[in-house]
This record gives sequence, C-alpha cells and structure tokens, in this order.
Amino acid sequence: MGLPGLRPRERSGPGALPRAISALSRALRGRPRPETFRKAKFDLPEAVAELWSLLFSLLWPVHQEGAVAPGDPPEALEGQIRFVKWVLHCYGYGRRHFYQLPEVGSHGSYELLLAFSWLLVYLSLPERFLYLNCVYQGDDAWICSCKDLASYPVPLALSCKGRVDIRYVQWLLGKLRFQWRSLYASQQEQCTLLNKIHLYTRGCHPDPSIGHLSVPEIELLRFPESSKQMLQQLESENSCLEAFLEWKHMELVYWQWMDTVLDANPIGIPNADKQDVFLPEILQYCSPKYLTGEMDRVQKNLEALRQRLQETVNQQRAAWHTKVSRCSQRLPRLPELSTAMMKEIQKTVECELAALEQGCGVKSWSHRLQRLVFREAGEPSHSGTHQMTKVIQVLRREEASLEKTFRRLQEECQQELAILARGLEGVIWILPP
Amino acid sequence: MSIVTVQLGQCGNQIGYEVFDTICRDLHNTQGFCCKRENEVYQASCKEHFFNEEKSGVPIARALLIDMEPKVISQTLLKAAHSGRWKYGQHSHFCQKQGSGNNWAYGYSVHGPKHEESIMNLIQKEVEKYDSLRGFSTIMSMAGGTGSGLGAFLTQNLRDAYPNSFIINQIIWPYGTGEVIVQNYNSVLTLSHLYRSSDALLVHENDVVHKICAKLMNIKQISFRDVNQVIAHQLGSVFQPTYSPEDSCQYRRNPLGDLMASLVPHPEFKMLGLRNIPQMSENSLAYTTFAWTGLLKHLRQMLISNAKMEEGIDWQIRPPLSGLPALEKVLPNKEFHFNTSIANLVILRGKDVHSADLGGFKDPALYTSWLQPSDAFSEWRTHRAFNKYEKLAALVSNSQFLLKPLDTIIGKAWNMFASKAYVHQYTKFGIEEEDFLDSFTVLEQVVASYCNL
Repeated sequence: MGLPGLRPRERSGPGALPRAISALSRALRGRPRPETFRKAKFDLPEAVAELWSLLFSLLWPVHQEGAVAPGDPPEALEGQIRFVKWVLHCYGYGRRHFYQLPEVGSHGSYELLLAFSWLLVYLSLPERFLYLNCVYQGDDAWICSCKDLASYPVPLALSCKGRVDIRYVQWLLGKLRFQWRSLYASQQEQCTLLNKIHLYTRGCHPDPSIGHLSVPEIELLRFPESSKQMLQQLESENSCLEAFLEWKHMELVYWQWMDTVLDANPIGIPNADKQDVFLPEILQYCSPKYLTGEMDRVQKNLEALRQRLQETVNQQRAAWHTKVSRCSQRLPRLPELSTAMMKEIQKTVECELAALEQGCGVKSWSHRLQRLVFREAGEPSHSGTHQMTKVIQVLRREEASLEKTFRRLQEECQQELAILARGLEGVIWILPP
Repeated sequence: MSIVTVQLGQCGNQIGYEVFDTICRDLHNTQGFCCKRENEVYQASCKEHFFNEEKSGVPIARALLIDMEPKVISQTLLKAAHSGRWKYGQHSHFCQKQGSGNNWAYGYSVHGPKHEESIMNLIQKEVEKYDSLRGFSTIMSMAGGTGSGLGAFLTQNLRDAYPNSFIINQIIWPYGTGEVIVQNYNSVLTLSHLYRSSDALLVHENDVVHKICAKLMNIKQISFRDVNQVIAHQLGSVFQPTYSPEDSCQYRRNPLGDLMASLVPHPEFKMLGLRNIPQMSENSLAYTTFAWTGLLKHLRQMLISNAKMEEGIDWQIRPPLSGLPALEKVLPNKEFHFNTSIANLVILRGKDVHSADLGGFKDPALYTSWLQPSDAFSEWRTHRAFNKYEKLAALVSNSQFLLKPLDTIIGKAWNMFASKAYVHQYTKFGIEEEDFLDSFTVLEQVVASYCNL
C-alpha cells in the first residue's frame, strides 16, 4: 500500500530521509530537526544540547501521565539530563556508555541518537504522544481491569531508633480512609451531575447513536469563544495525525539510515557487547531519590539471576528434548486430520470461546478511556459497547477477590504478630477488631 | 457539597437555630472587609453548604429538627420563619408528645427503636434533595435524655446507613454543677457510644462558655440564649467558607472532610476542643483594633497552657524542650500543665490574613512524639471577615484539652455506679450494668490514650 500522492520512488530517493525525519518531527509537535540527526551521526557536539532537551521534553509528559500531583520539571539542563538517564535506566536501556555521558552536556550526540531511536520503538513514542495530546469530546470513564497494583513505597518518618510508631501508621490509615470517602463523595456528585446533563440534553446530538450532549460540548455551548481554541487544538491534532501517517509510511527509510549510523560508529565502542537487563516497569513510578543507591545492587542481582536462569533453562531444554525424542519413538503416528474434522474442531473452539466471553459478562476491556453514553433501560445498544451494569458486575467481582486477598494477608499478619507477641513475657495479645 | 445538620433535643434545637441565624446574619453582613466579587463567592459557597434555595428567595436551612416534645420545635420553627432571612423546611421536623425525662436509657432504648423508621425516612428524604452529601453534623447535649440517648442511637444508625459520609457530633458538655442528678451517667453513656460510631466529637463546655459570657462579653444576667449564641459564633467561625489549599480564589468544597482528615484520622483520638480570639461584645468591637501577631501569640499560649479564654492565661507554661526523649513527656504523675496536642487546625478570617505568621504552631514540641508538625498542623484562611470581627482566629484542637473534664465525669459517674445509685432507672429500659461497665472501659481507654501523648 502506498501513501496517496507519493510515488514509491519518492520514498527512497535522496530527499527521503529528511522528509521522514521532518514527518516524525511534526508528529512529535515539531521537536527534532533533520540537521541535528545528521550531526549526531558523526557525534558532533553541536547536537548534544538539543538532543538532551528533546529526550527530556518527550519523557517528562509521558512520565507525568496519570500522576496524581504532577511535579514541576527541573529547569537546569543538569537536572533534565539526570532525569532522562534515570527514566531510561528504569525502562532498562542497557548501554553503559550512555550513562557515563557528562551531565554538563558537552559531548555524546551519537549516544543520544541511539537512545532516542531505542525509545522510539520501545515506548512507541509517536503513538504515546498522539494519545497524550488527544482532544476529548465525550464524557469519558477510565476503565481498567489491570490487576497488577503497583506497590508505592510509603516513606515513613522513622524515629531516632529507626522504628515507626504504630500510632503513626494508624493515623495514616485513618487519613487514607477519610480521603477515600471524600473521593467517593465527589465521584458520586460527578455522576449525578453527568446524569442530569445527559437527561436534559436528550435528542440534541446530531449522532443518533449517542443522542445527548457531553460535558465538553455543553461547555462549548456555554462559552462559545472557547470553540476557537478547540478548533486550534483539533487542527493541531489533525496535522499530528497526518504527519504520523506519513512517518509510518517512511519509517523504513529512517531505520535503514540508522543501520548506517550503527555501522559508522564514530566513537568506536562495540554496539552489541551484551544483552540488556530489563527492570520491571514498576520502577518508573518510584521517585529517583529512593532508588539510585539500590539500582546497582538490583542490577547486579538481576544479572546473576539471569545467568542462573539461562543455565537452568538450557539444562531443562536439553532434558526435555531427549525426553520428547524418546517418547516420539515409542508413539504410533497420529492419523491425518481431514479438512472436515479440522473445521469441526475449529467450530467447537469458537463456540467455547464465545461461551467463555459471555460468562465473563463483557469482552475483556483494555486499560483505556471509554465514552459514557446514557441509555434508557431497554433501548438497543450498538455492538462493541459495554453495558455499565456489566462492567460494574465485573468490577464488583474483582473487588471481592481483592478483598479476599486483603483478608488473607491481614490474617497472616495477625498470626505473625501473635507469634511475635508470644515471645514477650507478660504481654497479653488481644486481636484488633 | 452539603452538610445536613441534625438538631436533637431541646438543647440541640436551640443551638441549631442560633447557628443558622449566625451564619445567615454573617452572609448579609456588609462589613466583610473584602471586595464585592469575593463576598459573592463566599456567600455562594456558604449557601451551597448549609441552605437550599427556594423560589421565594428565602434560603431553607439544610437541617432536621428532632425532639420528643413539641414545644421547643414549634418555637424554633416560628423564630426562624419570623427572622425573614431564612427558614426551616416545611417537612423537616419530627416530634412526639412525651420526652425522655433526662433518662439516657429511655431515649436510646425506647424512643430510638420506636421512631427509627420515621426519623431515618425523614433523613433519607432530605439527603435525596442534594446532588452530593458530604456528611452529618448533629447537635446535642450530653447530659439529658433525648439529645444524648436518642442522639447516640441515631448516630449509630447514620453510620450504618451512610458508611461513606462524615459524621461530626457537636456535644454540649454539662455544667459541673448541673441540675440533672444523673448527668454523669448520661455523659458516660453518650460519649462511649458516640466514640464507636462518630468520626469526631466537637465539645462545647457550658462552664467555659458561661465564663466567656461573663468575663469577655460583660453580660450581667446570662441566659441560655447568650451561651448558645457564643457557641454558634464559634461554630460559624470554623465552618463558614475558607479558601481551598490549591487555589486561593476558590473556596473549600468539603470543609467537614478536610477538618476530619487533618484532625481525627486516628480512631482513638476523636475529642476536639474549640477556642476563639478575640471574643467580645459587639459594642466594644467597634472601638478595638487587633494585630495578627498579638492574637496568634495569645492563641498559642491558650493552646499550650489549656486556657479556656484569652483572660487569665498562664504565661509561665512553656513547651518541653524538643530534644527530650518521648518518655519524659509521659511520666505518670505528670500534672496537666503543658497541653500536648495531636493535631491542630487554625482558621484565620479577616484583614491582611495572608500576612499572619503561624510559625508558632509548627513547633514540634507542641505535638506528640509520633507526629510531625507537617502532619499535625493545618491552617485555613479567608480575607472575608466573620460576624463583624475585622480579624478573627479560631483553633480546633485535638489535644489534652478535655482530658481533665472527661476524667472528672468518669470519676463522678463511677462513684455513683459503685453505690448502684439510680442504676435501676437504666436497667428498667434495657441498659444493663454490663453496658455501664463497657462504657467505662471505653472511656478509660480514651483517657489513657490521651494521657500517653
């Protein structure tokens, strides 16, 4: 499939690379310049500052995404460089030489180009960016059924003996409980108001499948002057999308050029000396100050672990192969499946899959925003939509299972405490309510 | 963002009326010492919390009046209607013909279960009117029968029916020399039951307020009305709107929740005391000016010396040296000189409020060893003056303020209980000796917890 209006020759001609980079640049809202990339290929120092700030300006919003209280970005280049290094470390970028670059930004544009290209693929940066800058027009609800609750470390203030007073923990727990109640009340208020808006504006939306106005649309009606701003946002999003499309068609040119960059290797460091060590992505939620010290230790442990695992895997694999080959010698050959039989099996599998999906209530939804649309009971809904009642059912089930886990953990802790208390003479242990 | 006020019994209803009247007079106060626009935002925020708008334009208090005798309720409804500034809702009261005769057990075990359904329905109907419910604030006396007994019963029911709402109980602490002979029993039963179901108990001591009327307000013959107006003024100075922490152009949306989160997260420490400065009669107010530094210096000393008012503060009492280990603070025979805090909230209203320095309240020596001032201290501010006070500071404190009064009440009640005096009046209505013992245990635990700060 070719890009409309672009002949295949233009996708590989001499001007193709600058065009690809400029498309990428527009998709990322005009950040990198083609000239900078060319300089970076030869490790020229002129490109360094621009590449650091490029990396920072890309990683900062991604890192702040979903943060409850967005922090202030570091202003000095040094702080920005440290942040970029830390984030890349968390994502598991493995080139040692990158981390050894000076924090004054004097050289290393070649390394930075490699890091940028790695991020492009690893984080799907253009896609992430489009998603972040998307203009929403509907009333959205964040639906997420991810079970991996990231563990946030709570920095407890330690007393001089290095112990935490239990009353402080109880205080924090109480505070959390109150804040949860406040959150609950404001969510409930939001739902009530949303419902009012949806009821009052029924039949006002040009799209009959939606049927009512959303909060951003009501805002536009109330403050018509904001529509100009909205138009601008939409136009800019549109041009980003167009640029992204162009980039996708020309991406290959960039990667072919990157091959030549790797071959050029102006700093003379072997490019593939060892495999990268990937750290769990949970680390990206942590603050650097709790981690920098532990990072090296964790990395060493991981490396050792990986080697041991590799050995075990090799042994197991070899054992498995011998076992399989022995078994297959003993077994008679399986009869050939006829096409009719194949079809039958396929059908049964499909049926069972459908039944499973129905049993779950909803198709498994991913971790994303969904538009909220109000429907009277009994009104038909379109395929591909989730009914909120069903979503709630599933969430309730998940809540129950989390509750169960919580109770189990609590019991375990209580047992552990009881055992500890038994060791203290003259202490009576009364279970908390 | 509404708070439902539940006025219980004679005392609760009379104070409730004064609270709404004070708030409403403050709303129409032209001496706000701030610009018109700001005044409007303040008024809107206040109305959102405490009133429903009606077509006629007269705001309707978000309150429910509950008593077992009709007299006080009909008086209260009439007074509000006659004020012309505000009124109560048409179907917002519940009353019966026969009171509880100062018997806690009668209010809790007879009136409570008998009228549970009607009262809870009344509350539900009120709650359904709002887009969102933040919580309940009940006003009740601790010593009588209806307010205390029925109040404790109702608080439990509210907790069960609205598990995600905040519940604060405004408790009127009886005079030490009260005329109800069983007031100490009633108090012990009320406090112990509320401690299980309420989130915070904001205590108003009759003796203290009475002294304020006599010494600061220069009232010669002090009536219940005078006392109630001082309590209403103090409550208004806490719950009227203040700026939200994120944006100083917007008012706080959930003052009740914010107050709770900063003062009473720990379930063993729920007793709050209230202090105000300055406090004086309206006549003297016009001729006096104040500086924030002086006011806050006095308020701080009132806090650390447990002074009830700005007159007669003991300036000798100093906080312990902050370097001392926590053990030094908990000597068992330590006399109640220095008042250790768990958490404090200071609310400042009026002119130049942003220049007021609250550093004196952020001293770690003021607080228990297991909390840092950053956790334990909060401040609310607004430029809008309250109730004609050009400058006003209020302190809500979770500290050892109430340790001594509580200890006294438990002591007196225990002495009576030991001689089995009047206990049969309670067992008659289903409150057994076992229940008394449970209540004593709960409160002894509270006293012990506050002692060991």
